[in-house]
Amino acid sequence: MAEKNFKGTIRFQESLTGYLFITPAIFLISLFGIFPIGYAVYISLHRWRIRKGDFQGFENYFKIFGDWWGALAFLGGLSLLVFALWVIFTAVQGRENKAPFRLGGSLLAIASLVITNWGWRTIMAKGDDDFLGSLIITLYYSLGTVPTQIAVGLVIAYALFQNVRGQEFFRMLYFLPYVTPVVAAAVVFRVIFSEREAGFANQFFGMFGIDPQKWLAESKPLTELIFGLELNGIFAGPSLALIAIMIFGIWSYAGYNAVILLAGLSGIPKNLYEAADIDGATGWQAFTNITVPLLSPVIFFLAVTGFIGTFQAFNHIFVMRSTFSRGTVDVTSVEIFDTFYKLNKFGYAAAESIVLFAIILLLTIANFTVFNRRVFYG
Amino acid sequence: MASTIFKDNSTSQVPNKKKKITVPYTFKTSHIPTYLVLIIGAIFAVIPFLWMVSTSLMTLGETINKQLIPASPNWANYSEAWNDANFSKYFLNSVLITVSVLVGLLINCVLAAYAFAKIEFPGRNFIFAVLLATMMIPEAVTIIPQIKLIRGEIFPLPYLPETWTFVPMWLREYFPSSSNWMNTLQVLTIPFMANAFSIFLLRQFFIRIPDDIWDAARIDGAGHLRYLWQIVVPMSKPVIMTVTLFAFIGSWNAFMWPLLVTTTAKWRPLMVGLWTFVTEAGPETQLLMAGAMITIIPVLIVFFITQKEFTEGIATSGLKG
Repeated sequence: MAEKNFKGTIRFQESLTGYLFITPAIFLISLFGIFPIGYAVYISLHRWRIRKGDFQGFENYFKIFGDWWGALAFLGGLSLLVFALWVIFTAVQGRENKAPFRLGGSLLAIASLVITNWGWRTIMAKGDDDFLGSLIITLYYSLGTVPTQIAVGLVIAYALFQNVRGQEFFRMLYFLPYVTPVVAAAVVFRVIFSEREAGFANQFFGMFGIDPQKWLAESKPLTELIFGLELNGIFAGPSLALIAIMIFGIWSYAGYNAVILLAGLSGIPKNLYEAADIDGATGWQAFTNITVPLLSPVIFFLAVTGFIGTFQAFNHIFVMRSTFSRGTVDVTSVEIFDTFYKLNKFGYAAAESIVLFAIILLLTIANFTVFNRRVFYG
Repeated sequence: MASTIFKDNSTSQVPNKKKKITVPYTFKTSHIPTYLVLIIGAIFAVIPFLWMVSTSLMTLGETINKQLIPASPNWANYSEAWNDANFSKYFLNSVLITVSVLVGLLINCVLAAYAFAKIEFPGRNFIFAVLLATMMIPEAVTIIPQIKLIRGEIFPLPYLPETWTFVPMWLREYFPSSSNWMNTLQVLTIPFMANAFSIFLLRQFFIRIPDDIWDAARIDGAGHLRYLWQIVVPMSKPVIMTVTLFAFIGSWNAFMWPLLVTTTAKWRPLMVGLWTFVTEAGPETQLLMAGAMITIIPVLIVFFITQKEFTEGIATSGLKG
């Protein structure tokens, strides 16, 4: 009996120490990380311009979407798409008859795309163009940078992984852009991509006989500048200013991806390559059949963190944007910042940020359902 | 999401301690494409730095005429930028902010990570999972409530009443005198003194320390705090180094938050100072580049000194995280 009591006291003391140890960190994270989410929802339900106004329910959200059915179709369609992907990639695991799942999932995916598209067109017609447009710009930015970053990183990592001289020296050089303060680097890129003829980008492309461009001050889409096409909406593609910002994004993260991929490469057992060599596999076959599958967890990690990161990207875009780009580089986080900081519409900005959060959540879930089971964990 | 992270972690391949087998290097012609890729990549990575250095040493005339290298280095740009942009003030601010954040962050996160790794208490895994989920929250969501919070508009933050005359003046400087924390040191430091990512990294390392050591220490009469300080921390130098470096970079580079909470020069950090300079310097590119260079140099120095730990720390933490 006495012993049991003693043990109980020890356990109580242990728990108490545990709680004491985590208290400072948990307090700070709750106060500055978790509490603000709830409070942001609260703000978003009010008319709130610097000072709190009347409660107005979902009015702010309505201003964003302009049409409830459209909003429902858009967000619901996206969720349905995630579910369809889950059926196609995850639910079929370990089942004997995969065909009906695949077929059903594909049909569901097509249906959800149609719904999403209808929803998008509806809210685009009636909702807040600035905010919804910023989502498209964010999407361009993500799709333009993340896959490129990973591809460039993979090529560099693979080259570094060969038995080369000065591996550590090269690795250090590639890592430099990542450690450079973003604001300072963005200031440098502002000058590199300036519209002046003496700007570095214009001098460099001038060597190939390309006329000086306005770069960060150019609001026209690339498709119009190169091919003279006049497209509208999603199909027009990113403006030249956004492309310049994408180049910055790729510049700062490609090396970081390379270093992480290199660490992944050195974790792959050498004897696999030897076996492949004996079986007469070419270098390319070894790359696609051994390297890529064994590296897939790392690639997956980089893709997920990359997408989440680009959807939150702010600092360098804020520094590099020029008024002449006429909002063609204003990704969602910049748009939210403007609504809140310049226009002082706190309630509306909070509603926008909650929508952004919902989209990031959906994206993350989609990433996990599609890729997680398909990556190879050795 | 959290459960998946746990799973990834237990099964992902942590690179083995590299066995140093020195393969004698022989150059083959088949290596040429590899070197070509490496060199092109290196040029892409480094050229903005070269451009920055070169431009920072030009005269105004040279920046306007298409020139790549200055005729003779014009070092005066640096002192001009340093004085014009009030960098001496901002530099000191940034150093103070970064040091405070690092000290606070290490204490808070090491304690919490140790508890999550080594102490049994009810709700441990649940709290940890919630903690990991906070890594996904975009800054855009939290920033508006955070601003209201630090202005003392939501509920009052702690402060020193003016009537407490026994607090010496020099100490007063560092404590808030009202619940409005705008333009203070603590608004730039306290919110960053704990984050889920650091706790996660540290916990992953601590959890691999075998429990026998703890049993032995306990028999010798050591409590958790002493064990943590005398055994765990010295054993965990690499991961503590990694966390410190991440925090250093994060704190030195912070921009959006300091931009919002510093309306005066009093505690304005270097990055916001640089941005203010950008909006004021206008077309004087050479001064801008000198200014950018000044803000980058401390990071570069730290990076070159700790280069090996840095890249390896980030490479492995990236794999694990």
